[in-house]
Amino acid sequence: MSVAKPDNNFKFLTSERSLDKQAAPDRVTHFNEIYVPFDEQSAADQSGRCLGCGNPYCEWKCPVHNFIPDWLALVEEGRLMEAAELSNRTNSLPEICGRICPQDRLCEGACTLNDGLGAVTIGSVEKYITDTALKQGWQPDLSDVVPTGKRMAIIGAGPAGLGCADILARNGVEAVVYDRYDEIGGLLMFGIPGFKLDKDVITLRRKVFENMGIKFQLNTEVGKDISMEQLLDKYDGVFLGMGTYKFVDGGFPGEGLPGVYPALPYLIGNVREQLSMGAADSPFIDMKDKNVLVLGGGDTAMDCNRTAIRQGARSVSCVYRRDEANMPGSRAELVNAKEEGVEFLWNRQPLEIVGDDKVEGLKVVRTELGPADLNGRRSPQPIPGSEEIIAADAVLVAFGFRPNPPHWLEQFGVEFHKDGRVKVQGTGSVGQTSNPRIFAGGDMSRGSDLVVTAVHDGRNAAYAFLDSMDL
Amino acid sequence: MYNRTPHNGLYRPEFEHDSCGFGLIAQMDGVVSHSLVQSAIDSLARLTHRGAIAADGKTGDGCGLLIRKPDGFLRAVAAESDIKLEELYAAGVVFLNSDETLASRARDELNQQLANEGLTVAGWRVVPVNPSALGEQATRSQPQIEQIFVNGDADMDEVDFNRHLYFARRRTEKVLADDDSFFVTALSCHVISYKGLVMPARLPELFPDLGDPRFTSSICIYHQRFSTNTSPSWKLAQPFRYLAHNGEINTVQGNRFWAQARGSKFASPLFDNVDDILPVVNSGGSDSQSLDNMLDVLLSGGMDIFRAMQLMIPPAWQNDPHMGEDLRASHRYHSMISEPWDGPAGIVLTDGRYAACRTDRNGLRPARWVITTDRTITLASETGVIDYPPEQVLRKGRLKPGEMLAVDTWTGELLMPADIDRMLAQRHPYESWLKQHSHYLTDIDCAAKSQAEFGEGIHGDSLRTYEKFFNLTYEELTQVLRPLADNGQEATGSMGDDTPMAVLSRQVRSIYDYFRQSFAQVTNPPIDPLRENIVMSLTTNFGRFRNVFDEIPEHAAKVTTDTPVLSRRAFQQMQALDQLGLSAEMIDLHYRPLDDGSILQQVIEGICSRAEEAIRAGKTIIILSDRTLDREQIPVPALMATGAVHHHLTRLGIRGDAQVVVETGSARDPHQIATLIGFGATAVYPFLALAAVEQIAEGEQKDPQTACANYIKGINKALFKIMSKMGISTIASYRGAQLFEAVGLHDEVVNPCFEGVTSRISGSRFIDFENDQRHLARNAWKARKVVEQGGLLKYVHGGEYHAYNPDIVRALHGAVRTGEQRYYDEFASLVNHRPPATLRDLIGISNDQTPIPLSDVEPLEAIIQRFDSAGMSLGALSPEAHESLAIAMNRLGGRSNSGEGGESIDRYGNERTSKIKQVASGRFGVTPHYLVNAEVLQIKIAQGAKPGEGGQLPGDKVNDLIATLRYTRPGVTLISPPPHHDIYSIEDLAQLIFDLKQVNPEALVSVKLVAQAGIGTIAAGVAKAYADLITISGYDGGTAASPLTSVKYAGIPFEMGLAETHQTLRLNDLRDKVRIQADGGMKTGLDVIKAALLGAESFGFGTAPMVALGCKYLRICHLNNCATGVATQNDELRKAHYHGLPEMVETYFRFVIEETRQIMASLGISTMEALIGRTDLLHLLPGETDKQGHLDLSPVLAVDESAHGKPQFCSSPRNEPFDKGEKAEQMVNDTLEAIDNKLGGIFNYEVQNIDRSIGARISGEIAKRYGNLGMADCPITLKLRGTAGQSLGVWNAGGLNLELEGDANDYVGKGMAGGQLVLYPPRASLFKSHQTTIMGNTCLYGATGGTLYAAGLAGERFGVRNSGARAVVEGIGDHGCEYMTGGVVTVLGPTGINFGAGMTGGFAFVYEPEPEHADHGFETKVNHELVEIHRMDGRVGDSQTARYAAFLRDEITHFTAATGSDWGQEFLDNFAERLPGFWLIKPKISEFETMLEQVV
Repeated sequence: MSVAKPDNNFKFLTSERSLDKQAAPDRVTHFNEIYVPFDEQSAADQSGRCLGCGNPYCEWKCPVHNFIPDWLALVEEGRLMEAAELSNRTNSLPEICGRICPQDRLCEGACTLNDGLGAVTIGSVEKYITDTALKQGWQPDLSDVVPTGKRMAIIGAGPAGLGCADILARNGVEAVVYDRYDEIGGLLMFGIPGFKLDKDVITLRRKVFENMGIKFQLNTEVGKDISMEQLLDKYDGVFLGMGTYKFVDGGFPGEGLPGVYPALPYLIGNVREQLSMGAADSPFIDMKDKNVLVLGGGDTAMDCNRTAIRQGARSVSCVYRRDEANMPGSRAELVNAKEEGVEFLWNRQPLEIVGDDKVEGLKVVRTELGPADLNGRRSPQPIPGSEEIIAADAVLVAFGFRPNPPHWLEQFGVEFHKDGRVKVQGTGSVGQTSNPRIFAGGDMSRGSDLVVTAVHDGRNAAYAFLDSMDL
Repeated sequence: MYNRTPHNGLYRPEFEHDSCGFGLIAQMDGVVSHSLVQSAIDSLARLTHRGAIAADGKTGDGCGLLIRKPDGFLRAVAAESDIKLEELYAAGVVFLNSDETLASRARDELNQQLANEGLTVAGWRVVPVNPSALGEQATRSQPQIEQIFVNGDADMDEVDFNRHLYFARRRTEKVLADDDSFFVTALSCHVISYKGLVMPARLPELFPDLGDPRFTSSICIYHQRFSTNTSPSWKLAQPFRYLAHNGEINTVQGNRFWAQARGSKFASPLFDNVDDILPVVNSGGSDSQSLDNMLDVLLSGGMDIFRAMQLMIPPAWQNDPHMGEDLRASHRYHSMISEPWDGPAGIVLTDGRYAACRTDRNGLRPARWVITTDRTITLASETGVIDYPPEQVLRKGRLKPGEMLAVDTWTGELLMPADIDRMLAQRHPYESWLKQHSHYLTDIDCAAKSQAEFGEGIHGDSLRTYEKFFNLTYEELTQVLRPLADNGQEATGSMGDDTPMAVLSRQVRSIYDYFRQSFAQVTNPPIDPLRENIVMSLTTNFGRFRNVFDEIPEHAAKVTTDTPVLSRRAFQQMQALDQLGLSAEMIDLHYRPLDDGSILQQVIEGICSRAEEAIRAGKTIIILSDRTLDREQIPVPALMATGAVHHHLTRLGIRGDAQVVVETGSARDPHQIATLIGFGATAVYPFLALAAVEQIAEGEQKDPQTACANYIKGINKALFKIMSKMGISTIASYRGAQLFEAVGLHDEVVNPCFEGVTSRISGSRFIDFENDQRHLARNAWKARKVVEQGGLLKYVHGGEYHAYNPDIVRALHGAVRTGEQRYYDEFASLVNHRPPATLRDLIGISNDQTPIPLSDVEPLEAIIQRFDSAGMSLGALSPEAHESLAIAMNRLGGRSNSGEGGESIDRYGNERTSKIKQVASGRFGVTPHYLVNAEVLQIKIAQGAKPGEGGQLPGDKVNDLIATLRYTRPGVTLISPPPHHDIYSIEDLAQLIFDLKQVNPEALVSVKLVAQAGIGTIAAGVAKAYADLITISGYDGGTAASPLTSVKYAGIPFEMGLAETHQTLRLNDLRDKVRIQADGGMKTGLDVIKAALLGAESFGFGTAPMVALGCKYLRICHLNNCATGVATQNDELRKAHYHGLPEMVETYFRFVIEETRQIMASLGISTMEALIGRTDLLHLLPGETDKQGHLDLSPVLAVDESAHGKPQFCSSPRNEPFDKGEKAEQMVNDTLEAIDNKLGGIFNYEVQNIDRSIGARISGEIAKRYGNLGMADCPITLKLRGTAGQSLGVWNAGGLNLELEGDANDYVGKGMAGGQLVLYPPRASLFKSHQTTIMGNTCLYGATGGTLYAAGLAGERFGVRNSGARAVVEGIGDHGCEYMTGGVVTVLGPTGINFGAGMTGGFAFVYEPEPEHADHGFETKVNHELVEIHRMDGRVGDSQTARYAAFLRDEITHFTAATGSDWGQEFLDNFAERLPGFWLIKPKISEFETMLEQVV
């Protein structure tokens, strides 16, 4: 129910959806973000396109249920600080989600206008709000928070851990975040290439969190540098947000050949190289002048594609066993990759990586799609006799990740699903594991998923902890 | 006796309404005759069509006579019965119980009480009665009818005698309260009454006394009743002891309470013991009876009828520009003594000396009078009830709004309205009394001086705490309060309300949410608070009420404010009133709750006692405040405290000694504030809303003071709107009237706090409210808890449940786009297994029946005939969506509904046509051609989104197509008035139904109502008005743009309305006569099954098929920017973004019906018919929350034992009117050949007032063959003589001309599309045509073409919503050319006030030369909002003046030629001199250069 604003009720028709980005030839020369940020006027114009629907489908679809129409309205009115407060109320990392959420599958995909009229570029506005507010000196207002004297340890400074820490800090609980790496963010920092998420964003967000009183114990691996017992002794609760790092292999011959690389170490190595942070456990791998094949159709595959292009690969082809319509990755990333010169080989299922002592090519079979399952995805069926070999110098395997919880968790009564995910309780105290003092969330409990869902889990785990402490 | 009232269902006897025809006949010099009585009886019979006839076809709703005592006759029959009468005696007809034991007890009691008063009962006489005059129902309930004769004491005068009679009667009534039959009709030494449950023609047959030639009188008032109540009752037949009333007292509940509240103030020096007569007004019975009760006590206490009427039914004096200061002072003075009895009212009354008539402030009931050469005055609802030779008629006229007319039969004096006003104005020096004693609150000094001191002083954290404490959400701030603060305007929304009733909700909902606003439908009209603001007032007085009978200066000692919504400043001024002797007591509403059980009720009792003590100690203002917060305490909900204190003080009779002011954070929106006032608050100080508004203004960098003023202005407007929905004009009458229905409140709450409000299904208890408030308070003090986001208006994750939430919309889209069952199953499962969100979700269907094979269930083709799409106009919907719906319903075999706004001719007769054509208050596009192209004609009385309110189609939505269909021009804003201006009362609805059945005899007529308490009673009235179908809509609502508080707080769930209607119709043997449709948020087959089991035989679907067409429930329909192209007129959105197909709707209904069939199979029932009303197949579910568990839905499923075996569904093909319209049929027979062969011709007829809707039958025949204007070139002319009944020339088609020598009643030329209507007085008349009323009210309503020439005056609302007709008349009443959008109206004489209100098209000429008083000129009569006026003296611009002058002259020339009017001839003879006396009135938006061409 919106108040009539005759002057701009039709702004969604008169102004277009806008998402300016650098031209592909320019952007492949660097690892910086490709989207041109909004200024005040363009943010207001774009926000003004929002219809203020009675059913805010964007908000409904958003995993953290951001109050999107409300902050769009505030941006339209130029009330940036109120927008920032509101945006940060439901999301711990709004400027990051604004950059890397697959909006076309979430808010923007659900947007009423995404039906021929062009969805409001919600993600860009979300990014604009917090970026700009922080630049203008905004900080979350914690002035009326009363310390509770409770403490919680958080393992993993990824999105889940940060989401958890954010809520704890806002509710007077001391949050100490442990991470084995030398910077916060987890995959946000190291897994996601800089052209999608500028690393300054993370360091700025770290400052915000530190100003909120969150403490980070970096370069500290729990189970090695500090034990779980110690954490349970020192803290009222422990949150596990350790993600999923065990990558899925293809299970076909030739995966061990030199020139075959799993996606994640490849991406991490590249980021560390860009930031001159040293190799740590993921050495830099350069694709310059190579013919590169990327296997997979998800966002990690897209990151590999576009990283390889930027490294100066001679050619980059992405091999996927379903067709374009049935690929899981973000539409926007697909478009970006295509623009940047990535070739897509759809309906090809890898059978074997061929080569004598190093990669020389990939044997694939063509597929056709069978009937859709109840989720609407159609399964690939190989077409006999359609095998072929695609020549390559390097193969990047991006088939996804599986949970790999540390084995010592079992000693503390934490239970697991068969596939390795940590079991957490359903309603009531979401996030609580079988050990009432230990909470978990993110990929670790739900399996490999989005940043925003990890944030959501971390936040809910924090609420569950607050509830368990009767705060 | 029949009068058993079922208590287990939803029907309640207090839902009684009545309306009717009435009249008065008096010989002005007091000359008695039997012929006068005979004339009254005859004219009563001529009003038969204004009354109702019961299901037995014979029992009327009652009629009767109140007659100046026929002395000779009474003495004669007394003598025959050996009864000795003294010089001073009284006689009265008494209804006694048919059980002789009870009758005997009653006689003894009355005898004893009369004896106690020092009177002598001379004897009892059995009144001869002829039972063969009675119908079956009347016979069943017939009392023993006897006449008592009482002799006065020698030293009593007549006034004393009547007062003793009154006391004896009141005491007897109180003693015999348990005997429902006992009733003393009138017991007085001046008048006597005969009345009964018969049709008028049979009244003299019932009472042979009336035919006795010795039965002579000089005054007779009479009445024919049309009760919407279904149990006709002998004692409620009218006239009562002093009056007969046509109309409805909308404020009666409040009036009854206030009569009780002021109990002790009725002490008259003439009354020995006022306690004996209390309560002076009965709480049962009809509104008219209560009115009579009040008049009874006032007159018995020594008041005269003029002052009594002034007190009870004042005119709209506040805003009348022409009222003299002395008269205004007199009215203002009296407004300080009593609140008005407000509502449509024509009242005839007599005390034996005076015979008088009074009309309400808005002139909503007609009253036409004739004075003949034998000095007899006849006055009635209609003209022509007595046939007088033209040469005997001296004068004729009508009573205008708020007027009173009387004859004094002792002196022979005729008191015209101006005479009575003069008398009232000069009775006392009211002006100086007021000057001396009264004050305005704005003038009061108070401590705070600077603006800053008037700020609320609540900011930041403190404000956030308050917001959390009182559950003020972000949504409310931005969507509700901000529009008020910014624009002084309540926000608008659309797509109705899809959230659960408060009692079903899992969220914290305030007590205000439990109350649904009452609204007027059928039995009385809502008012247009914008265009007819002139009759409305929020004036509120502080100060003690005094004795009603004392006419002393101290009554004026009041402090007045112009709104009951107090600003900070006003609140402080009010607390400073002790300087005027008005001192305030502040009562804090907070208390400390206990952990084991609620003490809320005890706390409330304590508050009541404190208020009582304060008043006993002399305090005159009680302030109930929840402002001071405390961590350990929670407040009593302010509404509970207000209601409880009000009732407590009322019961003690001391409410009038103090005002109750509420300082609260809980009331912020208009509904909340209206609820407080409706339950008795004198004024409300919404401090938290004001603080929030200040904060909003600061955020926008605006002035907080202005924002607060805007907020109050917006609330004021919304209060007008809420009052006007019930047809109430003044806040004084609204206050304490409890015009709400409680849905989901337990009796333990209702009884102490809201006693008397309708509450039928129980629900939340004190503990539930206390728990909610504790929960809020807990969070309020926690800094970390943020202010809630909301979700009551829009879907918010985790907030209130919405029945059309995104999941459901998506699922439905998936089902209709793919056509796959699994997607529909997902949709149906989401709906059918949702958390209980509607009442039907707490009602399960039987699972222990023996199933039958699906193939045994009747097929889709049979079931679909029961499915209609709900009325959605082309205007709301895009043409594409509108046609998709029509095509889908036609292909399926159901029916689509045109909605309001006409339909393109190229859709008639093919699959794009809407089989249901709607007739709504705007009458847009309603022409004879439109009406004959329908299977069903639906009169939309109200709509679920905003019952009781009008609508507006903004100019930017009116494109070429819409303008053509609605007979207007593009870009013109089109207003649908709140009421149908031809339905102010139930008998008016009967008339409109008759009009429609005349123009299209094949069509069924449907009446669409919105569920509310008493809808069963209304539906029974509608059935008796001969509707064939009744649609019961829930509160849900659709595309209509509505103020948010209307969306949320008016109308109740259809389940309650449907069940009540079904139960009530069965109880009264009417169920088989009319079909019932349920409509409201139904989505699945399970919904259909439940509706059928509750009594519906057909089903209306609005939103669901719209969603099927692609609607995403955006709630922006009112902005014209619907992104799905469904509800917009924007070309781009319609063309490029509308993706709906008829097949999607077809697919949807196929799924629904298949699901329906499957459930039928599981119930073992093969046909829909066998489902209807089978509530035995339903059972109550326990509910999932405490509150749900406290509900008691058993009344919804109840079946009264007396209904067993009665029909469950309609079995009559149609509901034929009693009036067969024989003369109209004759006319059709006579003219059919001329129509068929386009021959033209002239035909002659005599007509009487009982010949109604003359012309419509022929127009229908013409339109069927030739459309609206296809026969205009070879017209048929009917030459009529006499008085035409109502609706002369209604829906007139081109090709039919009517020429009437005589006069006509209301609705002449209503909906006419073409042809010519000519009216002139009989050639032998003695009066001057330009001083004499020739036709009644609401003429040319919704006309689209044709001409009307009338040599005489027209009534109120002439040309209302005219969009094309041209007319010339010699004078008109108030509200002329209201909402006009086209055509030309020429008035050769004066108009009433409020001319041109809401006029957006066409233009008018009015002849009003310079007035005697400069401030009484035409300028003061015009509503200047949308029109401008120009003298026709050259100022228009030379060439323009000349063109318009030439046009005007032509109009007058045609008029004079057609009517032979002498007055018209005078204008032609002196045109140049007269021309400057004319005004030209045009909409501001119209251009002189083009305006003329557009209408000619």
